[in-house]
Amino acid sequence: MNQTSYSHKKVAPIIASVVGALMVAFLWVLVTAEPNTADDADSPLLGQPAPSVISTTVDDAEFVLANRKGSWVIFNFFNSTCVPCIAEHPELVAFSKRELQATNPAEIYTVINDDNDASVRAFFSKNGGDWQKVRDTDGAISVSFGVAKVPETWVIDPNGYVRLRIAGMLTPGLLDDQLAQLKTQFGS
Amino acid sequence: MKTKSVQNKWSWLLLVLSAVALLAFGSLRDSGPRTQADRIDAITKVLACPTCSGESVYVSRASGAESIRAEVARQIADGQRSDDEIIAYIEARFGSRVLLVPRSTGLDSLIWVLPVFVLVCAVGTLGFAFRRWKVVGSDSISDEDTQLVERALREDR
Repeated sequence: MNQTSYSHKKVAPIIASVVGALMVAFLWVLVTAEPNTADDADSPLLGQPAPSVISTTVDDAEFVLANRKGSWVIFNFFNSTCVPCIAEHPELVAFSKRELQATNPAEIYTVINDDNDASVRAFFSKNGGDWQKVRDTDGAISVSFGVAKVPETWVIDPNGYVRLRIAGMLTPGLLDDQLAQLKTQFGS
Repeated sequence: MKTKSVQNKWSWLLLVLSAVALLAFGSLRDSGPRTQADRIDAITKVLACPTCSGESVYVSRASGAESIRAEVARQIADGQRSDDEIIAYIEARFGSRVLLVPRSTGLDSLIWVLPVFVLVCAVGTLGFAFRRWKVVGSDSISDEDTQLVERALREDR
């Protein structure tokens, strides 16, 4: 009887310690884990060469992203019925005008997400935005950039590397600030 | 008595081995060549719709899921990538949140390893406890107990 209780006394703290250590390990994993939300602006593509994009514009001109090397490229994934896309549009138009004053202005491209040419043309003729609109047949460009929902804005540097992803609506001045930082960091 | 116990042990062993063999056969058997549609279904079933909650790309009709399904179909039609490579391509774009089945490497492997570890520990602990109870049960008659029984028997007489 005494021997049994002695064994219990010996084994119980070991089991309790193991369980305790496991609990602490789980807690550590939870505390240190990266948040994993759909709106996270992080992407595995950041710092990587941009995916190959070969498509056409709504004006039936060919668009090849690789040919844009030497310029900062901004891709704005857009749908004419998406409310945040409509809401951010004036900011994008204002940004494009400001950017024209820069020494090496960034090129803006709208990537049409799940929308048709006629709706996009109608939207831009009404709301302005004198840049090219690239077709994204079957969402191939969206998938290659990991775009889940619009609007999303991506910045690609003159060497063809993905430098920034802004998930969601652009706020006033956000793109200017981010682009200025990137130009300082990676050269304009 | 001893022969019966040995027979029991063999029966259990046979049962376990049969179960393992049948499970292995069931999971590894070749069900013949797969069509492109089979491959699209198999891949989209393990990819999460990026804009839905808990739905696979196979089930979802959301625009993002449709785009992924179209990309999977395109890559299968190209014939350049294996199923795993196509899944890795999608993961490299959307991140690991697009995987419905966790990877078996890195921290994610804990999801696979821990249940097995806990099961082995639980079975081991139970086995150890049963064995100890049996041993303690047969050897635990102390001198005090014997004297108590003898005294009771004497009093009965």
